[in-house]
Amino acid sequence: MTRDLTYAEALREAMREEMEKDKGVFLVGEDVGQGYRGCFAVSTGLYEEFGPYQIIDTPISENTILGCGIGASLVGMKPIVEMMFADFVAVAFDGILNQAAKVRMMSANQYKLNLVIRLPGGSKNGTGPQHSQSLESIFMSIPGIKIACPVTPYDAKGLLKEAINHEDPVIFFEHKKLYSLKGPVPEEEYKIPFGVARIAREGKDLTIIAISYMVNVALEAAEILKEKHNLEIEVIDPRTIVPFDLETVGKSLKKTNKAIIIEEGIKRDGVGAEISSLIMENFFDYLDFPVKRIASKNSIIPMSPRLEKAVIPNKESVVKEIEDLLIL
Amino acid sequence: MKIEESKKLQFLEKMIFIRQFEYKIIDFARTGKIYGSVHLCVGEEACAVGTGFAFKKEDYILPTHRGHGQAIARGTDPKKLLAEISAKETGLCKGRVGSMHFFDKENNIVGCQGILGAQFPIAVGVGLAINLRKEDSIAACYFGDGTSNQGLFYEGMNFASIWDLPILFICLNNLYGMGTHYKKTCKIDIYEKAKLFGIKTDTADGNDVEEVYEKTLKLSEYIRKNKKPGLIELYTYRWLGHSALDSRPYRPKEEVEEWIKKDPIKRYEEKLLKEGIPVEEIDAVKASVEKQIEETAKFAEESPFPEFTKDMEI
Repeated sequence: MTRDLTYAEALREAMREEMEKDKGVFLVGEDVGQGYRGCFAVSTGLYEEFGPYQIIDTPISENTILGCGIGASLVGMKPIVEMMFADFVAVAFDGILNQAAKVRMMSANQYKLNLVIRLPGGSKNGTGPQHSQSLESIFMSIPGIKIACPVTPYDAKGLLKEAINHEDPVIFFEHKKLYSLKGPVPEEEYKIPFGVARIAREGKDLTIIAISYMVNVALEAAEILKEKHNLEIEVIDPRTIVPFDLETVGKSLKKTNKAIIIEEGIKRDGVGAEISSLIMENFFDYLDFPVKRIASKNSIIPMSPRLEKAVIPNKESVVKEIEDLLIL
Repeated sequence: MKIEESKKLQFLEKMIFIRQFEYKIIDFARTGKIYGSVHLCVGEEACAVGTGFAFKKEDYILPTHRGHGQAIARGTDPKKLLAEISAKETGLCKGRVGSMHFFDKENNIVGCQGILGAQFPIAVGVGLAINLRKEDSIAACYFGDGTSNQGLFYEGMNFASIWDLPILFICLNNLYGMGTHYKKTCKIDIYEKAKLFGIKTDTADGNDVEEVYEKTLKLSEYIRKNKKPGLIELYTYRWLGHSALDSRPYRPKEEVEEWIKKDPIKRYEEKLLKEGIPVEEIDAVKASVEKQIEETAKFAEESPFPEFTKDMEI
């Protein structure tokens, strides 16, 4: 049986199912329990259902909140750490860079960290420079962690369930614009393995690899370009950027010979830079022209809607960039 | 508290062993047999042994970057430890991390800390897990005087206090954070800082192994029974530099000499003799340590270096 759930509901269902199965699974963070039930209400109802032992409210101390996850995971639990906004994880950066990411390799597999760090990221409602960033690329350069960035409710649930049971730390990016979007989610048990991309739209003329919410922007742009120029654009959602499904990208490029990467993070040293290099190294011969990167400007995420629109890619800007590229 | 004679001899043996282990590392360093940096605990042996013997098998230990003694007192196999420091395949972590970042799961050592202060949030997580699973264990979180100036120390105190976490914070106050005297870095005594959070505290002469043992045991029993945190501050001194071959210009000669007079091992040996333990028994302990150290060194020297394996790439 499949029903429509919002992205937030799908995440909640994943946590609920895993918490029911295993008392070692718990959620810890600022205002995740009583009070706000998660800054974006993702954990609504979970405190009432699981109580203070599995839904744990904390003081405002991101560094130690992450430590709760690392320490508990070291001794065999399966913590889910929620940062109120992805931006705040910077306060806890040592815990990721020097601790969580390195435990398995440093201890020569004596210890494995079963740890999920949920990060509500991206821009929504003009929350401004310290509450709107897309930080995926920063974490890509740290060996030892996996990075998931689901777009659909189906993927949100399946990837979170996989992450909760995964034996390496997982940074789990949840774009704030996705929380209220609905999509079909089966009632039956399922998980989505890491490193398997999803073809969000099939096409033969051009491949777009889009990250997080930009998958939806790419789909909208693809629709417009289909109508205007009869272009058949293929949109690939990698679902996890570490590990990255290069094979699916290669298959698509063999067919389309054109690659565009769209992300909400800033362009300099972004996710697109890495994917673009991988494409050049592996599929150079397939390409008609160099890989094109569309990303946010190397700037802050400004508050004013006008400025925000100037910085972050949107469907109009994506359409224009593709038209310019193809000289349409 | 009555401590049995056999235990007293164990205290002495472990302290002498730790000191000889550290001196063997200096030998190794001088002859190019180790890589990377090492932080030695010569002079602080009573802290390591007095605390280490107070724990139970099921307790979790978070040693500092100066953690050889803390690990050996806990039960870590010194052969594997020296092999690790010597970058060998047979080391605790297959020679990957050396002196400062080792883990020893067999002895519930959940990782030494190369980042000063990072042990506090991790100890909070371990303490939280103990409470959630209703275990009887405690988490022993070692740190130095200098590290108590990290913000994470205060966060750790706060979490331990509000959540009643079974964590024993053990401060080895050796007066210097690298080359800076504690008095230059903070106006408040470390145990006083913990008191602000309602945490039960104690202090001890860190060069008196029995005092350290008794007070640590008492405080850990309080923690176990009441499910509340505690902090003990041990006053001691590191005879050597911050790292193995540091020339330590920052300390007055007289101060070093003063502390060497308070040598925890010499003091204890004299105490045991005075208590009537025959000198032959003490000599036997020393001879046994010498033999163990030679075996330990031989094992490390003869072990192979590691190869890069696929699991080191994530």
